[in-house]
Amino acid sequence: MKGAVTVESKRVLMTGNEAAAEAAIRAGCQCYFGYPITPQNELIAYMAKHMPAHGRVFIQAESELAAISMVFGASLAGARAMTSSSSPGISLKQEGISYLAGCQLPAVIINVQRGGPGLGNIDPAQGDYFQATKGGGHGDYHIIVLAPASVQEMHDMTFQAFDLADQYRIPVMILADGRVGQMMEPIRLQEGPAPIPPAKPWALTGAKGRAPQCIRSLFLEEGALEKHNLALQECYRRIAAADTKLEETHTADCEWLIAAWGTCGRIGKGAVQKARAQGIKAGLIRPLTLWPFPYERLARLGAQVKALLVVEMNCGQMLEDVRLAVNGATPVHFSGYPGGRVPTVSDVFNALTALVRQ
Amino acid sequence: MKTTKSGYRRPASLTKAPMHYCAGCGHSTAHKLLAEVLDELEISERTIGVAPVGCAVLAYFYLKCDIAEAAHGRTPAVATGIKRALPDRIVFSYQGDGDLAAIGLAETIHAANRGEQITVVFINNTVYGMTGGQMAPTTLVGQVTATSPSGRESATMGGPLRMCELLNTLDQPYYIERVALDSHAGVLATKKALRTAFQAQVEGRGYSFVEILSACPTYFHRSPLESLKFVGGEMAKQFPVRIFRKEGVALHA
Amino acid sequence: MHERILIAGSGGQGIVSLGKLLAGLAAETIPHVTFFPAYGAEVRGGTSNCQVILSANEIAAPIAEIFDSILVMNQQSAERFLKALDQDGLAIINQSLCNVPAPERHLLIPATEIADRLGSIKAANLVMLGAWLAHKPLIAPTAVENAIASHFHGAAPALATINIKAFRAGLARGG
Ligand SMILES: Cc1ncc(C[n+]2csc(CCOP(=O)(O)OP(=O)(O)O)c2C)c(N)n1
Ligand code: SF4
Repeated sequence: MKGAVTVESKRVLMTGNEAAAEAAIRAGCQCYFGYPITPQNELIAYMAKHMPAHGRVFIQAESELAAISMVFGASLAGARAMTSSSSPGISLKQEGISYLAGCQLPAVIINVQRGGPGLGNIDPAQGDYFQATKGGGHGDYHIIVLAPASVQEMHDMTFQAFDLADQYRIPVMILADGRVGQMMEPIRLQEGPAPIPPAKPWALTGAKGRAPQCIRSLFLEEGALEKHNLALQECYRRIAAADTKLEETHTADCEWLIAAWGTCGRIGKGAVQKARAQGIKAGLIRPLTLWPFPYERLARLGAQVKALLVVEMNCGQMLEDVRLAVNGATPVHFSGYPGGRVPTVSDVFNALTALVRQ
Repeated sequence: MKTTKSGYRRPASLTKAPMHYCAGCGHSTAHKLLAEVLDELEISERTIGVAPVGCAVLAYFYLKCDIAEAAHGRTPAVATGIKRALPDRIVFSYQGDGDLAAIGLAETIHAANRGEQITVVFINNTVYGMTGGQMAPTTLVGQVTATSPSGRESATMGGPLRMCELLNTLDQPYYIERVALDSHAGVLATKKALRTAFQAQVEGRGYSFVEILSACPTYFHRSPLESLKFVGGEMAKQFPVRIFRKEGVALHA
Repeated sequence: MHERILIAGSGGQGIVSLGKLLAGLAAETIPHVTFFPAYGAEVRGGTSNCQVILSANEIAAPIAEIFDSILVMNQQSAERFLKALDQDGLAIINQSLCNVPAPERHLLIPATEIADRLGSIKAANLVMLGAWLAHKPLIAPTAVENAIASHFHGAAPALATINIKAFRAGLARGG
């Protein structure tokens, strides 16, 4: 691995982008298609170097529209497939993601977010929460969205994403940001043989010895689309019941709760520690899955605490889900950083103590 | 035009802002020539440029005319919209090889095929400069980039796209020329090509396209001087420098 | 132990590679390490900087606001970053290229000149590292030398020697 320094006890120093790429290779990703964009360029460069060395497929596509369509093709042929990009490129992929969702095809998509809208800037941001969790493309669908806060999570979540995608036949997105992508931390790599994907009898592999089959998202027959959409919703309910994941810090007795995801979640934890050291009963909830969202747990915590503080690098996106969950039981406050600036521990701590003093 | 101590004359259509391009980058020269042509044809006040996503994304800092910024590759489509809305204005797009020949290839071909009355300035430097030197559609076979670490291999990555040749198969374009910013003579030829292209638009003749072979020393991993040699040598061998179409007539080599 | 380090200079001075080297070696013995380079457009302007945090405990914020150590290698970064030094922080300043009012705890070292005399100005970053390690012995000098030797292994053994000498010169000047 270039740029990686192997150390004792198998810790390896890598960037988040490289850690995600290496996880995909270890998870048995057979095909990767991408198009350069900052701040995820290390990921595509890593794949360019290592996928061919493993005898796997790497293509630098002519655009993100093409890259996601190549993923669509590889996935419907039964392969584990992935693409990665950053916000403007992810917008272009929305068409393909909608088709993947409509056809119930597994795929892994990494979004190393940068500032928007439009070209925005290339600094870390969390402005794509709505896009990722509320559908993004056209139609009535969801994808699983995982939010890493460290290089280790970038690695582990990408690894798990392939299994989740295959298990539920659904696209899974890793919603990271430029900070997590560019940062280096020592991590433990996923070891052991690559997981064996489930059988994919639905894949189009040629109709030898079986009736021809079709993968499609067009349902013109009367009632067929309704039936299809209800089946998708049933699948989403199963995912929400079994695979809603979150991290809690000091929530058992907390009176002041910070809710934050990804990079902000990590910084929020620092603020909670600082508050606890000063005797403030602060706690943190960090959703690891943004979809499905931990509505129920938040509702219960909302009933317990005096106030909630949502911290995001945007103008208030997860904020809406938190409000929905808490449903007026307690005041929900917001601290937002929408221009590429990453809040510091003191920023969050100060916002929290302002609430406590109120 | 103002003459500085060194004898260099800054065209009126060029701002004083120091350019952010790396030393020896072809974009700087291309900007100056473009500004000179806007001056000479006296069109800067009725010209609207469309900047690409690429190293030239900040062109609006340097060129004193109206400039819009398009989404990556949609540049000629945006130019089409502007020109159709304001047919008496001069509209150009300025694009790198990633913008023009990869993500925006469809827009490039269809604007040319409709014979849009625009001028397309194409900077071919064989790499994606802005994102860190990845493979471009025009990367030479064997050329090492961040995403072709063992060199471009045509069997799986394709060969370099020759855009002038490709567009020359269409019926509508009026003027197509390839030039190289590799020498003093190349600079003069580039200026002349740009002037011809914009003149064609001023006269309402049709679609004009100028491909400029240009150095990116940073991602050629060569000195500025060696980069110029690469442009005039290996690049010009792959991309012959000549006029492909004149007054709507394809010229065959 | 919680050490927040900022390294800054101009492109080509080996700022990011120094940060990576430091983070990589630290990861062998220190439980929590983060390395964060400034990236993208910020780099094209000609300046380069990165942060390394070394800690016994989990690192909540991988970007620091205030630093325990700042290593600056050119004038522009000295002007821009020295303000972010902690009250008790240590500044290592490349005297060859910086002329600034020095903070309380500081070390002026002509890193570029020393490296130049040894045969390559590119080794100035290792002079800086040596000087820093003399004050903050968080990594064994032998580990640094081994890493330099293996980095230049094969390709350029002469460069390995220059860089090791540069590192030792820094260590001696810092001590
Ligand atoms: C949809 C989208 N995808 C990717 C990018 C990232 N990006 C910015 S510039 C660029 C390519 C630049 O290369 P080129 O067009 O050759 O211009 P140069 O920088 O070499 O002048 C890319 C891929 C983007 N901004 N938007
Ligand atoms: S990276 Fe290349 S194209 Fe971009 S400014 Fe530098 S030399 Fe020019």
